[in-house]
Amino acid sequence: MFMLPELIIVLTAFVVLLLDLFFAEEQKKILPVLALIGVLIAMGNVIFWMPEQGVVFGGRFVFDSLGAWFKLIFLAASGATILLSWDRLVGKVSDAGSRLEHPGEFYSILLFTLSGMMFLISARDLVTLYVSLELATIPLFVLVAWKRENAFSGEAGLKYVILGILSSAVLIYGLGILYALGGSMVLEEIGKNLSPSPAFWLATALIVAGIGFKLALVPFHMWAADVYQGAPTPITAHLSVASKSAGLALMFLLFFRVLGPAVSEWNGFLAILATITMTLGNGVAIVQQNIKRFMAFSSISQAGYLIMGFIGPFPEGMPAMIFYLLAYLFTNLLVFAVIVFYANETGAEAISDYRGLSRTNPLMALAMMIGLFSLAGIPPLSGFVGKFFLFSVASKAGLHWLVAVAAVNSTVSLYYYLRIVRQMYIEPAEENAVRLPVSPVLASTVGLTLLGTVLVGILPGFYENIAQSVAAAEWWSIGR
Amino acid sequence: MGIVSAIVFIPFITAVAVVLTPAQKSRFIRWIAAFGTGFHLILSAVLTWQYWHLAGPDLEFMKSALSSKLYFVEQIPWFTSLGIQYFVGVDGISVAMIILTSIVIFTGVMASWNVEERSKEFFALLLVLVTGVFGVFVSFDLFLFFVFYELAVLPMYLLIGVWGTGPKEYSAMKLTLMLMAGSALILVGFLALYHAAGMQTFALTELAKVQYSTGFQNWVFPMIFVGFGVLGALYPFHTWSPDGHSSAPTAVSMLHAGVLMKLGGYGALRMGIYLLPEGAKFWAMFFMALTTVNILYGAFGAVMQKDLKYFTAYSSVSHCGFVLFGLVTLNLLGMKGAVIQMFSHGIMTALFFALIGMVYGRTHTRIIQEMGGLARVMPWLATSFYIAGLASLGLPGLSGFIAESHVFLGGFFGNKWHNPVGMRLLTILATMSIVVTAVYVLRGLAQVFQGPITNPEFENLTDATVSEKIGTGILVLTLAVAGLLPWYLIDLIEGSLMPFVNRLQ
Repeated sequence: MFMLPELIIVLTAFVVLLLDLFFAEEQKKILPVLALIGVLIAMGNVIFWMPEQGVVFGGRFVFDSLGAWFKLIFLAASGATILLSWDRLVGKVSDAGSRLEHPGEFYSILLFTLSGMMFLISARDLVTLYVSLELATIPLFVLVAWKRENAFSGEAGLKYVILGILSSAVLIYGLGILYALGGSMVLEEIGKNLSPSPAFWLATALIVAGIGFKLALVPFHMWAADVYQGAPTPITAHLSVASKSAGLALMFLLFFRVLGPAVSEWNGFLAILATITMTLGNGVAIVQQNIKRFMAFSSISQAGYLIMGFIGPFPEGMPAMIFYLLAYLFTNLLVFAVIVFYANETGAEAISDYRGLSRTNPLMALAMMIGLFSLAGIPPLSGFVGKFFLFSVASKAGLHWLVAVAAVNSTVSLYYYLRIVRQMYIEPAEENAVRLPVSPVLASTVGLTLLGTVLVGILPGFYENIAQSVAAAEWWSIGR
Repeated sequence: MGIVSAIVFIPFITAVAVVLTPAQKSRFIRWIAAFGTGFHLILSAVLTWQYWHLAGPDLEFMKSALSSKLYFVEQIPWFTSLGIQYFVGVDGISVAMIILTSIVIFTGVMASWNVEERSKEFFALLLVLVTGVFGVFVSFDLFLFFVFYELAVLPMYLLIGVWGTGPKEYSAMKLTLMLMAGSALILVGFLALYHAAGMQTFALTELAKVQYSTGFQNWVFPMIFVGFGVLGALYPFHTWSPDGHSSAPTAVSMLHAGVLMKLGGYGALRMGIYLLPEGAKFWAMFFMALTTVNILYGAFGAVMQKDLKYFTAYSSVSHCGFVLFGLVTLNLLGMKGAVIQMFSHGIMTALFFALIGMVYGRTHTRIIQEMGGLARVMPWLATSFYIAGLASLGLPGLSGFIAESHVFLGGFFGNKWHNPVGMRLLTILATMSIVVTAVYVLRGLAQVFQGPITNPEFENLTDATVSEKIGTGILVLTLAVAGLLPWYLIDLIEGSLMPFVNRLQ
């Protein structure tokens, strides 16, 4: 019963796949609508059940309001990916290189990875956890390499497969050791039986490395730039938001439900991981010329901010982290929506190609600017509010130096986000530049994400609700 | 919506109205901006009048009060679980700053009457920026304060980058990044204050009741003071100021030098000295030495300048030094001087930049050496320029004199925590700058306006237009009123400054 949202998504995936077989080319234009309806129904279902708790399969699968927030984030991100890829799959783009083939398979694979993510956050034992993680990851390999004939896309797919499998191997080795130490498959059982020992620290190191790959934390970030650049742009958006959220969900489960006993000893380590991740991400983003690579490093640095939520006594940082994830979801998708719009029409991916956008398409340029400012953490946008809360977590733990480092990093990030703003607003447009048409689907995507970017930070309801969900979730007492 | 919220959001509503107007109707856009800011000016006058009546009877009581009494308070819960609220109100210092900002933005709109290029975006950004400024002056919640503070700083990037002159992109980027780095320090300080109090509230009035430990105050105070000091052009963090001001378009220079730099002094006073009196005492001597360098460096820097805007920008660095210098004297006289100087310098420097913009619009040069004898063709502008210059060198009868005499007397009398000899020496050094100021102001003005007309092309230049006369006229009048009837201004701020001094005891 409480698995209904996941089942709806899986069912939609099969329906889309089957209908794809029987539909003529012209009828396939209805497939994204079907996929989107499935996502919306699942979303409604999750919201409807939000305050409740439910256990399925003898405790291997748990629905709680905290997990529901994660599921909403996954659903919203995937819904946005469907919208972003819509024009490309139905062939309504001016730039031939941006076109994508096989809509049926594309959407069903996208929905499968979504269902994997949703299973993941509800998983409460090692096998369910690992299987749902693979369900979330393996379809992504296919999506990244969707444009087989394109050398960049193929290379990206190959890199992502090899490193993804490697990281899964590292992770499962860590999980195996945990099973040996804890003597159980159930996450919380293992957690109760664990005590710090060399084997425990080895397992922790392996798990952190595995998660580090998924989240693209420095020094496990090497794959990100090439994969982000090579993947079709809507899939890049998906990687940077949905896949990152899934990585955080995994980290959240393993850290707080399993590795709990040593939680207080991690502050320093996490702070250093956050510091190098955000600093390196920012430093390298400055010199990027391709907007997708640029966004790859930007999202690496954002992951650095996000893991600040794991600092301090559990679960104090959780509301701030989930809230930032929500803000980041809208903000990053807003920026990607404009990138997709521009690439659909012109095929351009270099930052310098954005020159004069404020004169040809003032509203799109404004939306992009608001998105970039939110990423840089400028008030009153949601990115700022989220960052403020995350920094507050670090400050509460007494890590004032980390707050300073993170705040200075935000300033540095402002420098490179302003590079794009400068191209759009200060540089003159090309001589023959004309106003580019905006498709209705992309216009509404930009509108929705823009609304989210602005409102999430101003309306207090989102944060308060997340905080209540965290407080209401059932924890066995660890590190408190 | 109370009157204080109206003060904050009327510029924003005006900005929205400007955005919704089609770009072709640039005349109409100007009128909207003028109407909105003019209405705001009237509203500020009403606020001042009402404040006067409410606060007058409390003056006796404030002499021994330990916390600022706020008027027209509006409190709405926002993020309740973290104790963040929409908390606005005013005290005397806020009211003085609101009047200043209202005057500068109105005259700024008057001075930008001729902006043709993308005038819609220009006025919208200008009004958003000023919303942030008003927000800072009335916020008594640290989170809200910070939100408005950054909102006031960021539009500057586009305003300078798009409508500026000279090396505008470099200046805009330098200014934005330096100010944001400053606010990073402020953020660290604010969060530390919040968590050290442990009361789950960001309200300034609540945090003021907390006794922070001396060790804590000693490291947080410099964070906050330097963080705001960057915007207040504290040496050696002032370097954004000459570049930024000289590249900015007229109204933006006016607003930035006139009002935005005051946010630095205001924040250092309201957040630094008010919440962390022990830290202020510990660091006062150090910052006093730094601001003395500020004052002298700015003055000598101005002597060397050839460009009118750089000239005024360096003079601003020197004059903003007086603000910070007055604050760290830590006595009533000095702080009073600092606040009067904020007001006086705001008006004066706005007048300077407005006039420079007008002269530049006619001569198309800002190089002092290339101009000469302009008083013959533009008597109104020349007279206004002289008045601004005389206020800047502290001539009695204009507001600059009142401010600077307070600051110097405050520095000379000193306080009981610091070595009086050291304070007096620093004060004497700082006072020297008046001579230097007289040298550069008089020499510069003489070159530009006196003597025969050097360039035949200047023969046909015209004097101020109507909108320019309105703008400069208001500013000149304010300078004179504040200089001749200073007790109104002093009464306005004195009661509210008492708690700052009492808390130090």
